[in-house]
Amino acid sequence: MNWVEIGWTVMSASSLTLGVIHLFVWFKQRAQYAHLLFFALAACATAFGAFELALMQASSPGAYAATLRWAHVPLAMFVLAMVWFVYFHFGAGRLWLAWSVCGFRLLGLGLNFATGVNINFRTVSAMDLMTLWGGAVVSGPVGAANPWAVVPQFGNLLLLAFVIDATVTLWRRGGANAHRRAAVVGGGVAVCITTVAGFAALITLGLVHAPTIVMPGVFVIVIAMGYELAWDMIAAAQLAAQLRASELRFRAVVEAVPSALLLVDDKGMIALANLQAEALFGYPRAELIARPVDTLSPERVRVAHAGMRDGYAKDPRNRAMGAGRALSVRRKDGAEIAVEVALSPMPTAQGLFTLVSVVDVSERRGLERETARQRDELAHLSRVAMLGELSGSLAHELNQPLTAILSNAQAAQRFLAQSPPRTDKLAEILSDIVKSDHRAGAVIQRLRAMLRKEEAQRQRLDLNDLVEESLRLMRSDLLNRHVEVSTDLVAELPAVDGDRNQLQQVLLNFMINGCDAMDGQAHGRSLLVRTQLTAPGHVEVSVADRGAGIAPADLERIFEPFVTTKSHGLGLGLAICRSIVEAHGGRLWASNNADAGATLHCELPAHPNGRQ
Amino acid sequence: MNDPTPTVYLVDDDTDLLKAIARLLESASLKVATFESPEAFLEGHVGGAPGCLVLDLAMPGLNGLQLQQRLEQQGSTLPIVFLTGRGDIAASVQAMKHGASDFLTKPVDDKVLLTAIHEALAKGQALHRAGEEQERLARCLASLTERERQVLDGIVAGRLNKQIAAELGTVEKTVKFHRGNLMRKMGVRVVADLVKLAERAGIGTATGGSAG
Repeated sequence: MNWVEIGWTVMSASSLTLGVIHLFVWFKQRAQYAHLLFFALAACATAFGAFELALMQASSPGAYAATLRWAHVPLAMFVLAMVWFVYFHFGAGRLWLAWSVCGFRLLGLGLNFATGVNINFRTVSAMDLMTLWGGAVVSGPVGAANPWAVVPQFGNLLLLAFVIDATVTLWRRGGANAHRRAAVVGGGVAVCITTVAGFAALITLGLVHAPTIVMPGVFVIVIAMGYELAWDMIAAAQLAAQLRASELRFRAVVEAVPSALLLVDDKGMIALANLQAEALFGYPRAELIARPVDTLSPERVRVAHAGMRDGYAKDPRNRAMGAGRALSVRRKDGAEIAVEVALSPMPTAQGLFTLVSVVDVSERRGLERETARQRDELAHLSRVAMLGELSGSLAHELNQPLTAILSNAQAAQRFLAQSPPRTDKLAEILSDIVKSDHRAGAVIQRLRAMLRKEEAQRQRLDLNDLVEESLRLMRSDLLNRHVEVSTDLVAELPAVDGDRNQLQQVLLNFMINGCDAMDGQAHGRSLLVRTQLTAPGHVEVSVADRGAGIAPADLERIFEPFVTTKSHGLGLGLAICRSIVEAHGGRLWASNNADAGATLHCELPAHPNGRQ
Repeated sequence: MNDPTPTVYLVDDDTDLLKAIARLLESASLKVATFESPEAFLEGHVGGAPGCLVLDLAMPGLNGLQLQQRLEQQGSTLPIVFLTGRGDIAASVQAMKHGASDFLTKPVDDKVLLTAIHEALAKGQALHRAGEEQERLARCLASLTERERQVLDGIVAGRLNKQIAAELGTVEKTVKFHRGNLMRKMGVRVVADLVKLAERAGIGTATGGSAG
């Protein structure tokens, strides 16, 4: 065996080995057609290597011509595989050039069988033994060139153009990877094609007397392509490793976050759940995965929940915690717990996933309820104390109608006792009695409502009505304290949403405070109660007194608990009023009047639907 | 002054109550005039007419006590029955000090109220009559001549005709003449009645004091 035989055998065998490796890879990853193409490329190279070795060992011109003719088959296949490998795997090159190259190559292959003894030679007249470097003896052809050889040669030029164009495209794409790829594939292939095709043309034209040596170029191309493909596989492996690491990190993060996390696919199935989700929902993770997320909603809202999910899918955006309505979920044991939910869309190749983060807020809700309960209770206590202060006035308000009823009834008795009994006035008297009775009943009802200890109940209220009613309750007290009251109530005042008892408490407190502020003074005791529209969507009720005013330093302090300027009282009234008003979404403040006295203000948000 | 039936003046800012009490008084055949405020009463009622005032204590503007003072300043003798919602001791003391006839707490029973009103009316009537008597007396006194008045003073001081004559520098006969005239003008027949009248007119003590 000389070195030619060894070399060509090694090149063919290596090509085949590389090809088979990638064929095996393709079997494992059917989507990766580059591996199949590479196998075809390598297999063609192997076959061509064998043919070329046979050419160099051909003993007769006939055998040489026939072998060369058949050697063109794997060569053409090699070129085709190479073109499409470049086109598909590197995503570079012009499609029309690729088709043209294939067209000319296949046309050449046809002519190879149709004209001359093969596409290179019209005739091969003799064999010429040549001694190569190193003493290897090979045979070369002597004959006339086939004029149709220009067809595959033009095809080779097109191939060169295709490869160079693809190389430029790759290079322009930028990045170390693309540059390396352009240099190895583009550079390697272009040089090999130029060398091999040029050399073959020279031999065919008889300008150079040498055996046709194509296989080394083909082998270099196989190696270059294999190198690139291997590089891609390494990169893919690295990427996979990174992905695994990042997924591990993701899982670690998912497990570490304090809220329950669910990853839900576009069909509403749970794809992933963390430890907190197991704890919150009470299901083991295996039962959570692949479960419809709707089944975690309480049954009564399940249909609505599916609708909400569809709505979300149409407009996937980040939804913040607590931004939505009060939600609850159903645990495996059937218990419902209050939660807050945040949603983040995660578009993936498998469709839109949604990361659902769920926080158990039942404890917080409980605390909020407890706070509200305590506030209501404190408001109630303060209200009872305040009514104690007003008891004289309230008794008077009851006494008036009761006195009227008694006098009316006794007048009726007297009219009936007359002889003859007078009955003409009875109807009028009875109707007055009924009227007075209603009047007393209303006072008692209001009193009972104010004294009752119950949770705050929101309803639509007209502040003007509330002012009038409070003034009626205070009437006697105001008279006794020689306080004159004037009102400035804006007509068509928008309603507010609030608890009647608590807001009345605020108003009464304002008035009592105003009266207290003028206690020491001999003249000019008067209160001005005013309602008005302030900022859009806000209504204000204020009570102005004509007392000594409030020291500027105390304007804010008077709303602190246990701060009082009076000899009696705990100093809780205004503090509680402020907590009441703030729970209603409003604010409370004090100001000094320009001329005399101070004003207490209460601003409340108007009911969105305007007037009551 | 010429109206023989006394009127009960009712003042209360609570119209329901005003109407009810007025009705009760009417059922007791009393003549009633109602006012919704002290101011309306001051404007509307004729001073000096016989009757009594039933007054609510707590009212906006002038309250009951302030109205009482206002009437006192005007020299009105109208008896006042106060009606109040609450048993305020300070207010009741003040009212009584200023001569209130009664001080009642609401709700008030008809008998109590009517009794108080009748008492007040009687008082008013008495005061009215006393006022008229006083006026008659004053008229009589005014009709006396200076000399007759001097003689009257002497009689009230308990002097004899002779002593009076000596004091006035005249004779006993002239004193007797004046004495007869003044007895006729004053409408009395015996000296004892004359002295009683003079006492009621406040003459005796003053002149007696200066002479004694």
